[in-house]
Amino acid sequence: MTPAWTILTAFAGALLVLLLPARSAAFSRVVALVASIAGALVAAVACLERLNHPDAPVWDLNLPWVPDLGINFHLAANGLSLTLLLLTGIVAIAGVLFSWNVSHRPRAFFAWFLTIIGGVYGVFLSRDAFLLFVCYEVVILPKYMLIAIWGSTNKEYGAMKLTMYSIGASALILIGIVVAYAAAGGKSFDLDYLAHATYAPSLQFWAFPILFLGFAVLAGMWPFHTWAPTGHVAAPTAASMLLAGVVMKLGAYGAMCVAMPLFPQGFMEWRMVIAGLAVVGIIYGALTALTQKDLKFVIGYSSVSHMGFILLGLAAANQWGLRGAALQMISHGIIAGLLFGIAGRVVYERTHTRDLTALQAFDLWKTLPGAAVAFTLATAASMGLPGFSGFVAEISVVIGLWNVYPWLTIPVAIGIIITGAFSLRAMIRAFFPERKSTDAPAEKMPPLTRPEISAIALLLVVSLAIGIYPKPWVVLIDDGLRSPLFQSILSLP
Amino acid sequence: MQLMPEAVLVVTALVLLGMAVAYESKTLKPFPVNSAIGIATVGILLAIAALWCPPLKLNGDSSLIASDGLARLFKGLVLGLGLLAICIPPARREIPQIGEYYALMLFALTGLLLAAGTNHLLFLFVALELASLSLYLLAGFPRTAKASEASLKYFLFGGVSAAFMLFGMSFLYGFAHTAKLTEIATALAVGPPSALAIAGLLMVLVGLAFKMAAAPFHYWAPDVYQGAPATTVALVSAASKAVGMVVLVRLLLIGFHSAGGSASWGGMLPGWTIWLAILSAVSILFGNLLALAQTSMRRLLAYSAVANTGYLLVALAANGRDAAGSALFYVIVYGLATLGALAVTAAVERDRGNDSISSFAGLVKRSPFQAVSLLVFLTSLAGIPPLAGFFGKFAMFSTAMAATASGEKSGLAWLVGLGAIMSAVSLYYYLSVLKQAYVKDAAEDSVSSSAPCLPVFHALSVAIPAVLLVLLGLFPSILLAPISKAVIDSLGL
Repeated sequence: MTPAWTILTAFAGALLVLLLPARSAAFSRVVALVASIAGALVAAVACLERLNHPDAPVWDLNLPWVPDLGINFHLAANGLSLTLLLLTGIVAIAGVLFSWNVSHRPRAFFAWFLTIIGGVYGVFLSRDAFLLFVCYEVVILPKYMLIAIWGSTNKEYGAMKLTMYSIGASALILIGIVVAYAAAGGKSFDLDYLAHATYAPSLQFWAFPILFLGFAVLAGMWPFHTWAPTGHVAAPTAASMLLAGVVMKLGAYGAMCVAMPLFPQGFMEWRMVIAGLAVVGIIYGALTALTQKDLKFVIGYSSVSHMGFILLGLAAANQWGLRGAALQMISHGIIAGLLFGIAGRVVYERTHTRDLTALQAFDLWKTLPGAAVAFTLATAASMGLPGFSGFVAEISVVIGLWNVYPWLTIPVAIGIIITGAFSLRAMIRAFFPERKSTDAPAEKMPPLTRPEISAIALLLVVSLAIGIYPKPWVVLIDDGLRSPLFQSILSLP
Repeated sequence: MQLMPEAVLVVTALVLLGMAVAYESKTLKPFPVNSAIGIATVGILLAIAALWCPPLKLNGDSSLIASDGLARLFKGLVLGLGLLAICIPPARREIPQIGEYYALMLFALTGLLLAAGTNHLLFLFVALELASLSLYLLAGFPRTAKASEASLKYFLFGGVSAAFMLFGMSFLYGFAHTAKLTEIATALAVGPPSALAIAGLLMVLVGLAFKMAAAPFHYWAPDVYQGAPATTVALVSAASKAVGMVVLVRLLLIGFHSAGGSASWGGMLPGWTIWLAILSAVSILFGNLLALAQTSMRRLLAYSAVANTGYLLVALAANGRDAAGSALFYVIVYGLATLGALAVTAAVERDRGNDSISSFAGLVKRSPFQAVSLLVFLTSLAGIPPLAGFFGKFAMFSTAMAATASGEKSGLAWLVGLGAIMSAVSLYYYLSVLKQAYVKDAAEDSVSSSAPCLPVFHALSVAIPAVLLVLLGLFPSILLAPISKAVIDSLGL
């Protein structure tokens, strides 16, 4: 089973949804669900195959596309790509389940949704800089449409801000890729070729930050993160899940698999700056989350904080650091999806508010116990408690960091403490309010629906599975790190 | 039979004129639009077929009427663009003299074809004036103040620029004692370029910059785009710009390849690339920034034309064969996108009475066909994959950058950077139109809920460019490979 089927199922699903006749528009969610499950299954099977045959050659598909410019349709799937594909598939399923009740133009909604999924799959599989950039940009317009049409709070502003940040960052990526192409002789956009070319150190010094920043904006690096909270809050639930869950990972993945392998010497020059910005992001995101009134804003800023760990792992640039970064991509993808799903769909659809003070009146612990339990578990995962995926990822990053910049672990530890504080604050305010016995009892709420329960269960199980038995994930990620792309980075002092 | 296509066009135009006069004097009714479009279409199709006539073997020099690969390919492409332009019907009673209007369209096309196939300055001037004089008239056909203003401005600016061009050509003749580009190249190869030759070239460039609507010679463009009939604007923006590019490629790369100099930041060498680079930078900045402020769709497209001329000049300033090929690719793709956008604008004007951006509100509900096509055109102009505009821009930027690195001494990294960043900015104004079409609802309910069905011709002028843009975006080699071959055939650099 070739992993390319992931891309195909997503785009074919999008096309199929659009072709549905108007009267069976409600059927589109079923099509979207089937397409998402098919994609996730393909990814899961490919992951298992890779685990069983770790020494087999990496799956690779290389077709000429535009020979005049040296552009190939080059896909390849090492362990790292495969785990990220699986993450995308899982988040996609959960996203469809959490948007089961979309009734406004459902065909267009699921078509844009599946287009994002297809683009994300494409980025994770691309081994050609041009193809990767194409898939990266395919995601931009659907993001805008999902937020601007189906979003809530300040949606047009949030959508436009997010889109302009994305496209601006893409321009930087374009410049970086084109510079590498030209400096490598103008023959090929193949990433392996570009990564093995030699670039003058002076060129690397200015080209690396351009390329890295282009990707890091999408990864939510402080101070270029401001699109993320407004965008996440404005987006409909499924789009928030995708944005925080997988689209931000595109930025991190690009930084890791394109920017750093292409210009390793430039990376060495800027490494300290990246580590510093990552730590500031961790603490700043956590502190800001501590003061938010809107539950979604809390989660939005917590994403900025958690993405800081990924960048920190990249800056550490050793086996532990990169492995931790990859684990954090997966872990945060699952947890952010879960938190946004509960806050944006389960709670908001019933209470029509996300204000932490207003939510107290609903006494959610009594009226919606399922959501309260799920949110508690998700909060525990987000805080990085042992047993959940976040713990494994963050501990790996910190170990990697200790080998490079031991003193930076102190502010990181402070950041982790603040994370605990804001997570608990938001959880208690929203779900376990202090109520006097004189308060009027809150109204009954409709219980969790079946799609909601399935989505919550899926994401929780995956997070627990990684936390309790991380070995297969680590094996797959290490398999990816053996790729020739990373050798120049891992051999850095 | 090198001039067969042109001959067919002239004969068709004369037949059309005669029939219109006969019909109108006999019935005292205006000549029916559909018949005029039909006759013109047949004429253009015959002209395209005539391209396959084997060229006569001419004794001696063939610079007057070149029948090289570039000439044949672009005559075909320009005829195709002209055909699509003619398919956009004028608004009801917009044009009183139908026969004359379409005959002039064919004359303009004849001039454009002749200009695309000559390496001789004087013949080039005559051909361009044939096209321009027809276009001045075509702009002023509707009896409205706006059309008259457009036509007059176009004519006055055009006259001055033609004078500049002719004056510059006289300098070139004085320098080389010939008007043949190949012999000018020989004369230049002898020693360093004389001031006379560069001054002459710059004046010719001013004249061509006017025709291409490059800032600061673009002042006619917004008024013409707004006041002239959509058909004329489509011809001006698509076909005439494509021919302008061919002329520039011939002039600069056949005649003045050795006098390019360098536009490198800090390492400037005298020559024409620095002037072209400045022209390009000014166009990119002016076009994009002014487009941000527009409320009329047609004016927005005019400023977008200015900006796109800027991108084209980036690749041209690289003074290399690959870059010229990618610019020729992009000008066709740009022409298709603008032509399609104008066709949709014409349909919206017909429905809503004006071309303000807000009149696009709710287009997706009124006509999904128009809305989806508009999405294709505008995202192609903005450079979003998988549409052809994205590939065109990517190819231009990467070949321009590669020309920098491979020792062709143009040093355009700064210009490529500016182009990429401003291209990202351009998404803002294209998205603001798409926001109206997809996100907003039509303001008043009095408007009919669905737009009237388009006439077949009109629908084709929307559908064909849209399909081509998707196709060329997915498989750019279909067009890029023949263009590269034609460029090698004609320039032989």
